[in-house]
Amino acid sequence: MLQLNWFRTYGATYLDALGWTAVTALAASAGALVWGCALFLLRLTGGRWGARGVDAYVQAFRNTPVLLPIYLIYFGFPLIGLPWPAVVCGGLALVLQNGAYISEILRGSYQAIDRVQFDAAKSIGLGPWHTFRKITLPQVLVYSIPSLGNQVVLLLKDTSLLSAISVTELTMQAKLLTEQTGAAYEAFIVVAALYLVLVSGTEVFFRVAHRTVRWR
Amino acid sequence: MNTPTLTLLLQAAGVSLLLALAAIAAGTVAAALLTALAFSRLRPLRFFYRLYVYVVRGTPLLVLALLIFYALPALDLRAGPYLAGVLVLTVYVAALFAEVFRGGVLAIPRPQWESAKSLGVPPGPLLRKIVGPLVLRYALPPYVNVCVMTVKATSVLSIISVWELTLASREIIERTLAVFTVLSVAGVLYFIMCLGIDRIGRRLERRLALRGFAGERV
Repeated sequence: MLQLNWFRTYGATYLDALGWTAVTALAASAGALVWGCALFLLRLTGGRWGARGVDAYVQAFRNTPVLLPIYLIYFGFPLIGLPWPAVVCGGLALVLQNGAYISEILRGSYQAIDRVQFDAAKSIGLGPWHTFRKITLPQVLVYSIPSLGNQVVLLLKDTSLLSAISVTELTMQAKLLTEQTGAAYEAFIVVAALYLVLVSGTEVFFRVAHRTVRWR
Repeated sequence: MNTPTLTLLLQAAGVSLLLALAAIAAGTVAAALLTALAFSRLRPLRFFYRLYVYVVRGTPLLVLALLIFYALPALDLRAGPYLAGVLVLTVYVAALFAEVFRGGVLAIPRPQWESAKSLGVPPGPLLRKIVGPLVLRYALPPYVNVCVMTVKATSVLSIISVWELTLASREIIERTLAVFTVLSVAGVLYFIMCLGIDRIGRRLERRLALRGFAGERV
């Protein structure tokens, strides 16, 4: 069933697609981290209405599939005069959803910080912004490394959904090759293996980061 | 939005829910069997479990779905998209449920095992009277999370032409261009389904709660 020749002929065509998947996942992860931090800050400092707003946002994204925001942005933005390329639309949808999850991860880690530190920050005259920047955020991010790793893995796998809006990443590539050659097994097994490599690599990266970046 | 469109979306939501429930039911049974493999005395079986979980969790659901979608006809199995869809979801959630169950078994405090052993409880009753009830309680919250995830995962099946809520929305959008209304309604329907499952799970948790549970006082 599996022909070695096949890999020799089409192996190279995967490289572009692999690049798209990797770049999209990286950019969206960075964006989601920033957006997640912003939502977390709003929850902490936005008063009761800020917290409620963030809560509603998180609940909305938690309880709906990612494909909905992907379609919403991809089909909806041209109608309001923003004809962005498909990768950007899909990437934005991934940022919006994963940002919601990341803000919840950060909130969980926030509980681990000793309250005394906030009193200390106040007593040395740090304002709310500096307390967040210098005291809260660094600790929260370090505590969150393992969960953030899980989230990035989920995001990485969700980039496959961008094939539904014609982004030529790995899954799209496998689809195209299947239609061209009729060799579904080969096309998808290679792609599955590439995803496994990417996912394992991400997991190793975060495990190493967790081990190196530690307090005390 | 007119009434026929809304009815269509409601029907499609029903299909999504049925797909999810079928996958949850089949996935739970498959996961119970997989969990048995995880604690098997035979090394190849434990290895198979780890490989299965690693592969399924390390590849996107869509890749799995397309592989099965394209591969089934090649195996001369002419399953409709619905059957293929449930099969894909089952394979996928079985791995997630199995990890949940395995975590539940590992969470059982050691004294429970030891006292069961010292009382000479045979394997059958051990599973039914001790391991089962404990795992049920430990695993319920993450189990419910996976159930909610399953409902959301059904949307991926739209790409392999299973007619459910996401595909229905996309079809209506392509005809009417009412992107925002249709997708908002679809979002609300998904939200209701997910929240409903979450609520049922919470209620079940409360009903199953035991006094002195979690190993403090037994």
